[in-house]
Amino acid sequence: MATVSIRNLVKAYGKTEVLHGISLDVADGEFVVFVGPSGCGKSTTLRMIAGLEEVTGGDIMIGDRVVNNLEPKDRDIAMVFQNYAIYPHLTVRKNIGFGLRTSKLSKPEREERINEVAAMLSMTEYLDRKPGQLSGGQRQRVAIGRAMVRDPAVFLFDEPLSNLDAQLRSQMRLEIKKLHQRVGTTIIFVTHDQVEAMTMADRIVIMKDGSIQQVGTPAEVFHQPANAFVAQFIGAPSMNMLPARYSGGAIKVAGSSIAIELPLPDGSELTVGIRPDDLIVSATPGVFEGLVSVLEPLGSLTLAHIDIDGADIVAVADGRTPPAVGSKVHLAVETANLHVFTPDGEALR
Amino acid sequence: MKLYRNLSISQKQVVWAWTFLALPVLFYVVIRFYPTLNAIVLSFQDWNLLGARTWVGLENYDRLIHDPVFWKVFKNTFIYLILGTPLSLLASFTIAYHLDKIRFLHGTLRALYFLPFLTSTVAMAWVWRWFYQPVPIGLFNNFIASMGFQQIAFLNSTTNALPAILLPAIWAGLGFQIIIFMAGLRAIPISYYEAARIDGVSSWTILREITVPLLKPTIVFLVVFSSISFLRIFDQVFNMTTNNPGGPLDSTKPLVLMIYQTAFTSYDMGYAAAQTVVLFSILLVVSLLQLRIMRDR
Repeated sequence: MATVSIRNLVKAYGKTEVLHGISLDVADGEFVVFVGPSGCGKSTTLRMIAGLEEVTGGDIMIGDRVVNNLEPKDRDIAMVFQNYAIYPHLTVRKNIGFGLRTSKLSKPEREERINEVAAMLSMTEYLDRKPGQLSGGQRQRVAIGRAMVRDPAVFLFDEPLSNLDAQLRSQMRLEIKKLHQRVGTTIIFVTHDQVEAMTMADRIVIMKDGSIQQVGTPAEVFHQPANAFVAQFIGAPSMNMLPARYSGGAIKVAGSSIAIELPLPDGSELTVGIRPDDLIVSATPGVFEGLVSVLEPLGSLTLAHIDIDGADIVAVADGRTPPAVGSKVHLAVETANLHVFTPDGEALR
Repeated sequence: MKLYRNLSISQKQVVWAWTFLALPVLFYVVIRFYPTLNAIVLSFQDWNLLGARTWVGLENYDRLIHDPVFWKVFKNTFIYLILGTPLSLLASFTIAYHLDKIRFLHGTLRALYFLPFLTSTVAMAWVWRWFYQPVPIGLFNNFIASMGFQQIAFLNSTTNALPAILLPAIWAGLGFQIIIFMAGLRAIPISYYEAARIDGVSSWTILREITVPLLKPTIVFLVVFSSISFLRIFDQVFNMTTNNPGGPLDSTKPLVLMIYQTAFTSYDMGYAAAQTVVLFSILLVVSLLQLRIMRDR
């Protein structure tokens, strides 16, 4: 087990800088998830930690060693790849054992270790099969087993669940989380799926365009997003963003006025963010009123798209008694649940 | 027309498929299968290309078994195969493996390796023939002599001639094999190598336990393909020993050249057909054996 520290990490391909000096400390045994849209630099960061990409600038430390110039094999890490990277011509046993090739264990010890890992992943009965005879989830488990067998200080996961179907993905999500609780090894996990990040992480690192936007627990990044990007990226459906203006101790937004104290001069331009589940659809007059344009039933709840003063707002309505399309509805929101951002996206509250 | 309309979609597809296939099927039957069968029949007959064909039973085969030239040629053919196939595969794999790793001049080098494949075999054979000539004509011997060594009889020696002809034959096929190997190498996901790097295994282990096993389909294809081409070697030999084809003293003569001479120099068509049947059987057996041995279990 080990800590991982990143100091001002920079990556450039020729003149194009793709990672602009990021810093992060991962505690021993922590489960950290890097999340962000495609091309944000999360996978590059992970591959640099693994030693598969060279470091352009800054330092990577695993434990108390700077590993910038160490070969991947000398970093005491293991990695699970998106396409599993398990060898189709080898049996599950040999695939899992591949990571032990260079270990100093004796043959019976290796066998024991492979069996132990296989048992932990419920793969014992598949040990003599080849990957072609396994399902997607089982292949993923082989890939994890291959990483686990070496008992590394840090596990690196590079979008390991993106090739699985939705049901299997949520099942594997849970399994990986349980595994972490059992073995307690430091995990750095990369995904583009914010649900994966929220459900698994001790801490989430949200990245965009080669910079870290926010680091925090799932609750922190959800309830106190650092900027408009984080606010919209985390949470599904996405946060509603409405242009607004501050004047006279109130925010003027979508034809309504909400009294609130902000440290801003009168007439400042703002963006107001409201999560769909903080908007309460009601029959009695609230803050906003508008016409229901589209309904998206999800079973226990229904997403209602409401046209307010030309702006499309998503609100969560009851699943059993949703408002009718075309009907006029009132929306209430607690002032405490309002997010306010400056025009360049920084969170004010 | 009504009959066609009443067919199901898959039946209609079959009708169209056979309509389009009719021409190639006809071609194969008339140009390939008929002569093949005719050759087999001819191998039991005596014919000088003009007169009548007379049945002679197994006489042609009996003659073949007792013909010392045939056994010499038979041996030569297998030497071409047994040396040519592994050497060409080893060389092309080594080149492809390293070419795959470089970026600088990658395209140029690949084109240079492929060039001999595009060149006419006859022209190439004659250029190599010139290389092999004695002093003062031949390039190699001029060089060897200028270094102060005794010149080597390449094409005039019964021991050196076969390898001297085999070398350009291997070189000529290299470009094609390199391209196929590179395509095979490119098809192996990079993450396999990255995972192995993280596991810390040596490049030798990676080559032996990941690259080569995953290239097996490519290797099977190339082994069969190159075996067939070495068993059928003709152009290089004929053009490099044109004064005395297959010489000196039949030391370079392959089966195809013997068939050619029997048929079109001696006009002994029945005997040539018997030799052809033997070549056909060898090709069939060798190909089937290789496919069987190298097939995935």
